[in-house]
Amino acid sequence: MTRKRRRMLVLAVSAVCLGSAAALMMSAFSSSMELFIAPADLAAHAPRPGRVFRIGGLVEAGSLKRTETGGHPSATFRVTDNVASVKVTYTGILPDLFREGQGIVALGTLRPDGHFAASEVLAKHDATYMPKDVVDALKKSGEWNPASGPPPPASTWNTLSPAQKKS
Amino acid sequence: MNHLPYIAAAYGLTLAVAVGFSLAAWIRMTRARRRLDAVDPRARAATSPRVAG
Amino acid sequence: MDATAIAPNPSRSLHRFANPGRFLRLSGRFLAPLAWTGAILTVIGLGWGLFFSPADWQQGDAVRIMYVHVPTAWLASAGYMGLAVCAVFSLVWRHPLADLAAAEIGPVGAGVTALCLATGSLWGKPTWGAWWVWDARLTSMLVLFFLYLGQIALVRAFDDPERGHRAGAILALVGVIDLPIIKFSVDWWNTLHQASTITLTSAPSMYVGMLWPLLISALGFSLGFAAIVTARLRAAVMERRLRGLLMARAQAGA
Repeated sequence: MTRKRRRMLVLAVSAVCLGSAAALMMSAFSSSMELFIAPADLAAHAPRPGRVFRIGGLVEAGSLKRTETGGHPSATFRVTDNVASVKVTYTGILPDLFREGQGIVALGTLRPDGHFAASEVLAKHDATYMPKDVVDALKKSGEWNPASGPPPPASTWNTLSPAQKKS
Repeated sequence: MNHLPYIAAAYGLTLAVAVGFSLAAWIRMTRARRRLDAVDPRARAATSPRVAG
Repeated sequence: MDATAIAPNPSRSLHRFANPGRFLRLSGRFLAPLAWTGAILTVIGLGWGLFFSPADWQQGDAVRIMYVHVPTAWLASAGYMGLAVCAVFSLVWRHPLADLAAAEIGPVGAGVTALCLATGSLWGKPTWGAWWVWDARLTSMLVLFFLYLGQIALVRAFDDPERGHRAGAILALVGVIDLPIIKFSVDWWNTLHQASTITLTSAPSMYVGMLWPLLISALGFSLGFAAIVTARLRAAVMERRLRGLLMARAQAGA
């Protein structure tokens, strides 16, 4: 065996060892890599009362109520993962992207009555990028209602010409 | 919210880093060639394609 | 078996200089076209993205940050992949150029990764509502930045450059484990960062009028990255040749 081949072998063996060590470690710590808990998992992994954690999901269509408490804007809405949903209250300015049907991640605590009191609400942007007129065209033709769910398959709209669609 | 400051900052930062790296690389290259020329003019034959043939 | 493996003392023998010499001649020919193509494509891509592409229906104009953020993110990973390839060539074949190339890719890669993190932060504030979140994607990208910094420091940490290059190569290879984590973090765990828009399995979920400027600026950034690394590598080869000549002259004079 030449020195070159020996070095290659050493490298390959180390790569396999290191790779499996990393994979084991990641699967062991997998749950702590999660940024948030989905409403459906809330019952199973209910954090201790008063503990601060994040929940994430979609803002349920028709659940958003904007109010005012003590001069500050506040909102109540439900966060859903289409399996379970949880009521969220928040006082403060919501991010620009916040709307019904939007994915959000909220930081806060679970209250005894089962609602989630958020101290921070972040908008989770999805991986679709559309100009406004394309969305308007899809809404008009009834192909997509942004409040109710994810957009239709990308191939149906990513080369859509809105002017063409209108006629 | 007005997004312009964020966009300007992102593009400005990118431009600054790109120009900085390019200029630094260019200056370092020309300086190395000049110093190499000064020490040994024959060494230039290997660094420039025009003289290489 | 090639000459590289049997040379008893590679740093003194002639083949150390033979390959870099060919590199200087070749790179001298393609560096200028590479740099100009990269610059022109970057200007076209960013100009298109900044002024002629449509705004996103939700994010508005903030989406234009994508045209700098996404190419730098791709390049950060690709640059590290380049570092790892150099490390294999260095450790297995003792290729004379691979060590120098790794030392020159490191700082440029770290710069690109820093840009990716900074532009991502500037994009996150107006869209998500936060500059930074410790989710798996952002954290693994920060880890990549520190891997670059570690490689830069390690390469220069030893009096004997050979040992520095060896240590840097080993770190570069160990760090490769972070690349699949970055890539798949958005699929394996729930994150604030969105999933991939451009995948091999389905149509890109991005309007064509946004996709084209993104791809053009990504190509421009990549060529620009290659041109900067090539220029730095040319400089490094010439600097080393200069040191060799000066040392030989000093020994002859003594």
